[in-house]
Amino acid sequence: MKNFFKILKFEYLNCVRNKAFIIITAFLVCGSFLFSLLPGLIISITQESSDEIQENTEKSIIAVMKCNYDDELVKSEIAPYFPDYDIKITDEDRKTVENKVNNDEYIFAAEIDSPLSLIYITKNNTIYDTNSQLLSQAVKNMYTVTKLSEHGLSQAETDALMNTPVNTQLVSTGTDQTKNYFPVYLLMCILFTAITTYGQLVTQSVVSEKNTRAMELLITCAKPAELMFGKVIGAGLAGLTQLALIFMSVSLSFTYSPKNMIPEEIREFINFPVETLISALIFFILGYFIYAFLLGALASFASKTEDLNGLTTPVLFILIGIYMMLIFMCSGGMVDSTVMIVLSYFPLSAPMAMFVRSTLVDITIWEVAVSVVLQLATIVVFGMLASAIYKIGVLMYGNPPKISEIINMVKKSKNS
Amino acid sequence: MKIEIRNITKNFGEKEVLRGISFEAESGRAHGLLGRNGAGKTTTIRIIMGVFFQNSGEILVDGKEINRDKLKIGYLPEERGLYPKIRINEQLIYFGMLRGLSKQQAKDASVKWLDRMGMTEYKDKKLETLSKGNQQKIQLAATLLCDPKLIILDEPFSGLDPVNAMLLKDVIKEMIDGGSAVLFSSHQMNYIEEFCRDISILNAGRIAVDGQINEIKRSYPRNTILIYSEKYEHLSAFISKSFSGRIDSVDGSEKDNAVTVKLKNENDKDELLKLLLENKFQLDGFKVKEPSLNDIFVQYTEGGI
Repeated sequence: MKNFFKILKFEYLNCVRNKAFIIITAFLVCGSFLFSLLPGLIISITQESSDEIQENTEKSIIAVMKCNYDDELVKSEIAPYFPDYDIKITDEDRKTVENKVNNDEYIFAAEIDSPLSLIYITKNNTIYDTNSQLLSQAVKNMYTVTKLSEHGLSQAETDALMNTPVNTQLVSTGTDQTKNYFPVYLLMCILFTAITTYGQLVTQSVVSEKNTRAMELLITCAKPAELMFGKVIGAGLAGLTQLALIFMSVSLSFTYSPKNMIPEEIREFINFPVETLISALIFFILGYFIYAFLLGALASFASKTEDLNGLTTPVLFILIGIYMMLIFMCSGGMVDSTVMIVLSYFPLSAPMAMFVRSTLVDITIWEVAVSVVLQLATIVVFGMLASAIYKIGVLMYGNPPKISEIINMVKKSKNS
Repeated sequence: MKIEIRNITKNFGEKEVLRGISFEAESGRAHGLLGRNGAGKTTTIRIIMGVFFQNSGEILVDGKEINRDKLKIGYLPEERGLYPKIRINEQLIYFGMLRGLSKQQAKDASVKWLDRMGMTEYKDKKLETLSKGNQQKIQLAATLLCDPKLIILDEPFSGLDPVNAMLLKDVIKEMIDGGSAVLFSSHQMNYIEEFCRDISILNAGRIAVDGQINEIKRSYPRNTILIYSEKYEHLSAFISKSFSGRIDSVDGSEKDNAVTVKLKNENDKDELLKLLLENKFQLDGFKVKEPSLNDIFVQYTEGGI
């Protein structure tokens, strides 16, 4: 491997000095810096504007019609659910109220024509509108208070009984999935994007050397394994450089922006534990190598950039399929299911699946170690296989072969 | 230094590409490797370069198995190619280092060869900004950077204008005179004849003929005589009449004022010359017509693939 480090250095510098790479990195660094400030900016702007609205305008009105309950009871039960609104008990008919809702005189209206019946009148109903549920709960409370008052309990006593708080404490004997869910979800997304993006740096490098025929000379100067490993590690280091710059920019924006710029809730939300970050980094490296070797080997059969899609799509489909499956498992709360356990050992899915499991589920270090060893073994096998394929592929021009033909060629090359 | 290619065979799957190739190349000489497209030249070269491994046979350098880490080889592939978007100096240094030079040696060699090719002013330019001819010169510089002891040139003159071809010829001659062994693959027979003392013609994975060009030519019948004279028509009529029993044919050509005489017996050429001189013919030239390398190539490779 006497030429390995020369190739590695050349490939790394080639990647990081590439104009497109520099522009994209600058864009991502600046973008992530601004993006990390964005939630705080939005919150402060919306808070300011809502405060101004509150100060400058009258409160919106909720109209309640045809009510059998006492007016004070109605107001006192609805008000806690809608603290920013005025509640008006009205005798207007349904038609008039609907017109006023339509003209924005009333924000919405409620008709309670019997003790347990509610008609909710609103201008535009959206999937995010929870007013009818809140009103329904208020009507239920009115009914309970009325019934209990018939048995001698005052409204205050009834309300106190109904609102008695329960002191709840959470003791999680394993890992608190709710706490880590967002960081893991975000890092898994970054992991997937990074593996596909930097894997494609390798494919581009291989195909451009073949397209420009520089390969004809390279293959006589260095061993295929040196070229393949140099390329994959060089592009991987370039990727890590880019990721490091992005993370540095985000952490700088968190560290040095004014405290009130980023709300505490968001700080807690994105505050990755260091071990989660290290775990993401390790699994990124493992996943990157597994896929980069596969993609690099297949790219060696492409004579021009247009051939790449057909050759690398099957591998990218596998990666996308695994990613979708993991999203489904995470959102369905199945992070410790049998399928997930299998995925966390299967080398193609293990980098992402074991990262998710090791972060969200309390598993032993041995389980992680076995998965990592399996992935390392796969990298060695894929690296050797990729070098063998690369040696055949880089000297082939014309229409790219099918996957089955590639397998046959590798078998024949081993026999001959 | 002597490079011996001994009985090399190579299969790609079921296909037999080389079926026992043998030839030799020596320091201070150029050896021509000829053959039609698909005859096995590039595969032979790639086996010498270590890109492919032979199924059987051996490659010896001074009687020992070739050690590519020690033997400096310069290779100019038929499919030219370097990095179009990288500065010339930078990629020359890179290729020099891949060929085993230290960084400083590669830098010095880059300066030397860019100067020799008259390309120093372009050293900081990207390759893609150069004309095709100048890119070829850079490619040649990349080939010769490591001061190779074995130089393999695959179609080195293709695409070069006459001035650049002259420069390349001078450089190759310098390398041969400097003691390098040159393996020269080309379809341009005039260049082969100019540089090479020895040739090997490959046909369908076999050596159809090899040896010194002169000896190969001398192995052909020497019964065809070319006689140059202004009065070629008169000469042609005289030979037909006076030498009729000893010739197969006589043809006069206006184009080069020459008569081509095909003798039944090559030993009669001295008598023919004597007869013409006795009859006071003014001759501009009298020589045995040898087959051209092109004729030999066609003869040995026609219908072979």
